[in-house]
Amino acid sequence: MFIGTDKLTHTYMPGTPFASAALKSISFSLGRGSFTLLIGPSGSGKTTLIQHLNGLLKPTSGKVYFDGQSIGPDKSALLSVRRRIGLLFQMPEDQFFSETVFDEIAYAPRNLGLAENEIEESVIKAVERVGLRPKNLLGRHPFQLSAGQKRRVAFAAVLSIEPEVLILDEPAAGLDPSGKLMLFDLLSRLNRTEKITILVSTHHLDEIAALADNLLVLNGGRLEMAGKAREILARRAELQDLGLALPQVTEIMDELAARGLPVSTDIYSLSAASKEIIRLKRADQG
Amino acid sequence: MSRSIILGHYLPGNSVIHQMNPRIKVLVLIIILTMLFAFKSIPGLLAMLLAILLLFAAARIPFRYLLKGLRPILYIALFALIIFLFFTKGGVVLVRLGSVTVESDGLEEGLFVIIRLVTLVLFSLLLTLTTTPLSLTHGLGYFLKPLGRIGLPAEEVVMIMAIALRFIPTLIEESQRLMRAQVSRGADFESGSVFRKAKNLAPLIVPLFVSAFRRADELALAMEARGYRLGAKRTRLYEDLIKMQDWFVLLTALLLLAAVLYTNI
Repeated sequence: MFIGTDKLTHTYMPGTPFASAALKSISFSLGRGSFTLLIGPSGSGKTTLIQHLNGLLKPTSGKVYFDGQSIGPDKSALLSVRRRIGLLFQMPEDQFFSETVFDEIAYAPRNLGLAENEIEESVIKAVERVGLRPKNLLGRHPFQLSAGQKRRVAFAAVLSIEPEVLILDEPAAGLDPSGKLMLFDLLSRLNRTEKITILVSTHHLDEIAALADNLLVLNGGRLEMAGKAREILARRAELQDLGLALPQVTEIMDELAARGLPVSTDIYSLSAASKEIIRLKRADQG
Repeated sequence: MSRSIILGHYLPGNSVIHQMNPRIKVLVLIIILTMLFAFKSIPGLLAMLLAILLLFAAARIPFRYLLKGLRPILYIALFALIIFLFFTKGGVVLVRLGSVTVESDGLEEGLFVIIRLVTLVLFSLLLTLTTTPLSLTHGLGYFLKPLGRIGLPAEEVVMIMAIALRFIPTLIEESQRLMRAQVSRGADFESGSVFRKAKNLAPLIVPLFVSAFRRADELALAMEARGYRLGAKRTRLYEDLIKMQDWFVLLTALLLLAAVLYTNI
């Protein structure tokens, strides 16, 4: 087990009339280098769960593990966990406070006490990784950027510490379609070529479902399903009962299959769908 | 952070006290506070203390909320007691330490002041624990209305207070979210000197202000879109009707005050 939880339970404001159980006895584990989606309707506890994995919230009961060790209250151990697990919050551009993009991205490496020349190196590397050109960007004010650029700068601010694990909370929320595609492309590259372990929470499965190895499904603070992405995505009826929409292309393929065409329904991205349709057409002609 | 703020913390419930009209509650509180200052001796105050404890039980408020609410005045109470013990003279000498004496009148006066203070805080606490901040604001706003004649824009003041109250939890939540976000980026808000701590707060304060201004902007727009105009007469969805039992409570409080003033106990 690389990262995971054991009977993790979290109650907000325990012991008051406002107490509410956000997570109920959640246990799962993810392997090193895996790509996992955490899905569930809003209010199902995704954000609460994610914040435990970085030691930002303390479990009411149960444990959180990272690299064979339990994430505990020890401060220096927590700092090293945060050094290795990068966490991108929901709407991360709301955290901007610096006067230049450079300072914004350099915030995390500075907090970790890197030398100034190392900081510059890591900032430039992070900016390039998210597909921005450092030259015309680093001196600008973060509030002047477009929404897509802001999101990528926020992402670079997390990548600047070169984490082994990336946890992203609704990273595509509020992005336009091209911004989304670019983000998913980047995530796929970080996972496949740089072997970074990735966990993404989302309630939109479009496109991103095709990238995932594993799937965790939360509902009402309970882990309803956990396992291989393909196996869980095949349990269509259960997912629909939870109010989770399948990717649009998958629904189209399901519909085609329902009308008697011999297509695979194990398809979660546009490119896979177009390949399958071309294959079908060729088979038809040949 | 938000857990330590108890004063002004509303506890939902549906007891008789929760259901009282907020205007009447405010009036009754004023009458009771006047009464507390009218008492001349400890037994009367003890009766009031007993009464407030029974009222807390009737409102089904857990005992620890009572203790939490009293914590802020602990030091004031101790300080008052010490002052009275050593500086009020008269009666029997209870303790003698060299030239310093503690005399019975000092003890009596000290206890008198502390019981009055505790009772006073508990009555005020009962009001804020059983009344939503919003209805409390409207209740208070009602008494501001006559000031409209001398140019105080009562409706607007109430609106400002109501909005401020509405957004306190939102801002607390937002600041906690931001704090977590920056902590995940390695921020440290706890260690270092005071100066360093203040400097470290920039990553928290700047985004908080940015979002507060954006929220204010959006709220203003939303209010105007729904027809809010300065100085316009507004009606309310929930009218605060004064029921028979409210008049009864008010009358009882007035009679009690009259009795206390008349008998001079």
